[in-house]
Parts: sequence; structure tokens; C-alpha cells
Amino acid sequence: MSLAARARLVNPRLGIYFSIFASTFAALVIMLVVLEELGIGDDLVRLAMLTGLLGLFVGIGLLGYTREPLEYFAAGRRVPAVYGGLGLAMSGLGATGMAAVTGLLFVVGIDGIFFISGGVAGFVVTAVLLAPFLRKFGAFTLPTYLGRRFDSRMIRVVSAAVLAVPALLVLAGELTLGARTIGWLTGSGAYTGMAVLIGAIVAGTVAGGMRSLAWTNVAAGIAAILAASVPLAIAAILSGYLPLAPLSHGPLLRAIGNLEGVQGLPVFFEALFGANLPQSGLQPVLKRFSEPFGATGPAAYVLLTLTTMMGLAAAPWLLPRIAMSPGVYDARKSLGWATFFFGLMMLTAATIAVFMRGYLMKLAGVSIASPPEWLTVLSQQGFAEVATRGTRIALTGVSIDRDMVIVALPIAAGLPMAFAYLAAAGIIAASFAAASATALTIGNLLSEDIVHGLSWTPREPRGRLGMARLLVGAVALFGGFLALAAGSDPLKLLLWALAMTASCAFPLLVASIWWKRVNVYGAFASLTAGFLVSVIVIVAAEAGLIGLPSELAAVIALPASLIGLVAVSLTTVPPSRHQLELVRDIRIPGGEILYDREMRMMKQKDRKRA
Amino acid sequence: MIERKERKPYWQHTKWQMIASLVPFLIVLIVLPLYADPLNHNKFLGFPLGYFLIAHGIVIIALVTVASFVNRQDYIDHWHGAHEDS
Repeated sequence: MSLAARARLVNPRLGIYFSIFASTFAALVIMLVVLEELGIGDDLVRLAMLTGLLGLFVGIGLLGYTREPLEYFAAGRRVPAVYGGLGLAMSGLGATGMAAVTGLLFVVGIDGIFFISGGVAGFVVTAVLLAPFLRKFGAFTLPTYLGRRFDSRMIRVVSAAVLAVPALLVLAGELTLGARTIGWLTGSGAYTGMAVLIGAIVAGTVAGGMRSLAWTNVAAGIAAILAASVPLAIAAILSGYLPLAPLSHGPLLRAIGNLEGVQGLPVFFEALFGANLPQSGLQPVLKRFSEPFGATGPAAYVLLTLTTMMGLAAAPWLLPRIAMSPGVYDARKSLGWATFFFGLMMLTAATIAVFMRGYLMKLAGVSIASPPEWLTVLSQQGFAEVATRGTRIALTGVSIDRDMVIVALPIAAGLPMAFAYLAAAGIIAASFAAASATALTIGNLLSEDIVHGLSWTPREPRGRLGMARLLVGAVALFGGFLALAAGSDPLKLLLWALAMTASCAFPLLVASIWWKRVNVYGAFASLTAGFLVSVIVIVAAEAGLIGLPSELAAVIALPASLIGLVAVSLTTVPPSRHQLELVRDIRIPGGEILYDREMRMMKQKDRKRA
Repeated sequence: MIERKERKPYWQHTKWQMIASLVPFLIVLIVLPLYADPLNHNKFLGFPLGYFLIAHGIVIIALVTVASFVNRQDYIDHWHGAHEDS
């Protein structure tokens, strides 16, 4: 009987809806390619690509309108595993993963793979250690979970304030990249781009909250996968490889290695703990692609992998979305799908980097006076720069914009410009997905756990959702302001945010499920020690006070957080019987959702009192 | 619904499954990149082997790990009667 009830929750037409979306998007792209070949104005093609994409997202977001808190905060708990996984992978990746990491792989080659392996490992760790239990608990935000788990309002408010910081860093990074890409597409600069992006994000999320977010992110995922893989597949066919480029480009990679040897590109090694990751902007290629440990030392590589893994596993902008899956089994499965989609997208990104290196290798020795046409186009767009020393192009004299490598590939392959706009649309889609996820997470943290954080009884739905909607808009605006004012490197912001969540949230979340002895004091010590130490280390490293790269802040902050957690828990009173009973219930997949049970019991108590 | 005396064996079983899923995967994740350079002298599907293993290899190992975890853990849930009522 209840099997039917759960199966009925999931919309059986989802596949049809998203097939319609995918074919609409594909039709738009094909139409623009045809129109471009027919000689229609370039401006119109760019504008149609942008408005078509964002229009579809905003439309899907608005269709998700709801007045129910369960729908607004948990998408009605009926997002099937595949869709949930695609959304998780997309907002874990974001424009930073799509554009900046492609550029990172292009510049430093194999040393950038720490982000790929760390990311997939993060989803595996979430699936095993956290997801099933957080889904069983069913709280709408992480601070609500921590607050109920430790039966403490203080930990709820403090964790909300702490977890909002890394999410805000990611939001600023995503908005920076998205606004820049929109600015390039419309030819009107980053300020207009920022205004358009924030407008779209607010319109696409306030109507339905998590419900809108779940479905717009699936659409963004489909658009981003098409945008990354279609130009790549065409470029692969043109260069004589099978269209399944991530698996077929091996010979190209070895040919690049041989050419690098002929050209005398240096092999060098970074110090054990050194990490010299490229900044955003124009970057020359200094390192051979498949020779490891030239940009990150061996220890730094492993530590960066682990930081990415733990940071993504405890990311406050991803974990609340686990509450959207229909059950505990589906929660585990959706993390499996997230691993698949994340791996697929990142291997595509790595392949794009290899192909772009391949085009770059062909430049060596060409006369500076007559560069190939694609290089001229890239220079005109400001994505490339050629050093004017000597008469022939040297490999190390060509600088390519790190964040635009993915857009540069279709141009270098000689495809119609519409494909470059498609790649840009992919960046915008990824940025839309991650920025709306972070903005909504922070908005929910603020409205649920800070503004109304001192009371466990939720407000009546109208006021509750009104406040949440208002705060999402405010957070998006503030994030845009921050992005324009600071203008920092999105990749660095993401790695800082991951270092922070890895040190302040990861040990605490894992212990709250797997270690019964942890108590509220230990939780508080872990949260504050992890956060403060990671911030201090990042600031000190950026100021050059310590010899550790700021991306590795978790190396010091995570042990500090762990020591705080264990030492303070063991030296203070053991947790109460109610808390122990709660942990035992969290560990069992079956039975009532604990958050719902607690809310129901609270209502009964109130009624008895009245 | 799970019986009370089944809770402890269920959690023991779950803990061992967690260790069996994560420990081998984490060892591969940490150790494999350190051997990328010597492995690069071999080739596989035309790729330098070291590059292939730390890029594609780890993604494939992660997928196998998570798929086997989902199935094994679901089996454990049903064995102890801890699964959802659904």
C-alpha cells in the first residue's frame, strides 16, 4: 500500500518534460548555427543564445511556484535519484568547475586532476558517511539538523553564521564568472552581466525555493553537458578521433608529450608542500601536460585532493538537497548519480584542455606575422595574447585566458561562432546552477536558523516563506555586490570555501552520526576552532606570513577542529538520553522522518499546554 | 520496522560495510597519483597509463565503489529489517 504511496509521489512525466527541454535547447542551437551561416547579424545570435537559455531556466523556476513549506524547502521530497544526482553534480561543479578548472588543467595539465578525483571522492564519501542519515533526519537546513541533533539553539545559530561564509565565497566566485561570460556574450561589460544574472537567479528561485532549484538545476545540467561535449565531439571528429573524445584522445595526448619534448618545454618539480596554481587571466603554458608534480608538490597534490573531497562532502550548499530525495535508498543512489555526472563533466573538461593544448602545439614555429585565423580571433576577443619577441611564435610566448579555454576550443577548431556561444552558454548554465544553489542555501540559513533561529516551532507558512523569499533576493544582491567589489579569482574562492567546510563542518557532521559520545560542547569547539583557524591560516598565507599555500589551509585547521571535537567532548558531560536515542534512530533507515516526528510532537505538546 | 535487539548487529554490519567501501578507495585515491610518473612510460588505449589511471581510473573506481555500496547496504538493510516501509 505504502509502496504505491511513495511511487505516486514521483512525477512520471519528468523524463518527457526534460526531453522537451533538451530538444528545445538543441533546436535553439542548431537554428542559431544555421542562421549564422545564412549571414544573420552576430549580435542577434549572441542575444538569442543568452535569452533563450536564461528564459528557459526562469520559466522552469517560475513554474515551480509553491506556498507549501515542504515544497519550498525540500521540493516535496520527491526528486528521483537521477535528477537529484545531476543537480548535485551541477551545483558542486558550477562555472568554476566547468570554466576555471578546464583552464587549470590546460595550464598545469595532470596536476589539476586533484579537483576531479577529489570531487568524485567527495560524492562517494557523502554517499557512505552522510547522505542516508541526513535524509533519514530530513531537516531542511544543516544548522537545523545540528541544532536538533545536539538539542541546542546556540549551535543552530552559530553554525548558520559560520556555514554561510564559505557558501558566500562560492556565490561570489560563481557570480564573477557568470557575469563575465554574460558580459562577453552581450558585449556590454561585467556590470550589465551581473545585473542580468542576478535578475535571472532571483526570478528563477524565489517562486519555488528548493523545488525550483531542483528542476532548474537539472535543466542547467543538461545544457552544460551538451555545451561542453558537443563542440568537443565535433572537434574530435575533425582531428580524426572517435566522437567519444574523453576515451579516444589518448594518441593525441602522447603526441603532445613528444612535441613538448621536441620543443624543450621544461620539466620541473614543485616543493613537497608547494602549490603554484594559475591565477585567473591570461596564462602562458609553462609545464608539460602529463609530467606530474610541476605545479603542486606530491604532498600538496594529495592534500588538495583530500581537501576537495572533504569540503565537497560537507558543503552546506549541497547537503540540504539530500532532503529532496524520496527515501534513504534513493538518497544513496542520487549520490551515485552525482558521482557519475561529476566524473563525466570533469573528464570532458580534461579532454577539452588536452585538445586545446593540441591546437597550441601546432602554433610552435609559425611566423608571428601570419598567425592562424583562430589565434587572431582569440586575440581580438581578448582571450589570447602572443609575445612579439622574435619572428616565430614560441610555445611559452602564447598566453590563453584561463577561464575561457572552454570557449576558445570551438574557435580554435574552426567551428562557427555559434558553438563558442554555446560553450559560453554552458558556463552561464553552470554558474546559474551553483549561484542559485548557494544563494538559496544562505537565504534559507538566514531565514530559518538566524532570524527565526531561537524558536523551534516554525512560523505559519506565509510569513515563513515570505521571509525566505525576501532573504534569497537580498543574498543574491549582496553576493553580486561582493563579487564586483572584491573581484577575486573564482577558483581560489572555491578552494578556500572547500578548505573552510572541510575543517569546520566535515569532522562535526561525521561525528554527529558515527560517534555517540560527541556532545554539544565538542560540536561547538569543532565548529569554531575549524572556522577560526582556517580563516587565520588563509589570511596569514595570503599575507605571506607562513610558507603554506592558502589553498591548503585545512592541513592545519582540520586537525585543530578534530582535536577540539574529541578533547572537549571527552572532558565534558556525556550527551543526554534523548540525544542518544536520536542518534540510534538516525542510524536506522526505516521509520518516520525524524524532523517530521519532532515537529509533530512539539505541536502535541503545545496543544496540551493550551 | 526493525526489532530492538537487531539494532546492534545492524549497526556493526553497516560499520564494516562503511570500512570496506571507503578504506580501499581512499588508499587508491592517495597512493595512485604518487606513482603516475613511472606508470606514464606504459600506454593504455593510447593514453600514458599514469594519466589514464588517475583521471579516468579513479572516476571508474569511484563509480564501482558507490554502486557496490548502494547494493550491499540495501541488502544489509533488508537482512536486518531496517529498510524503509515504502
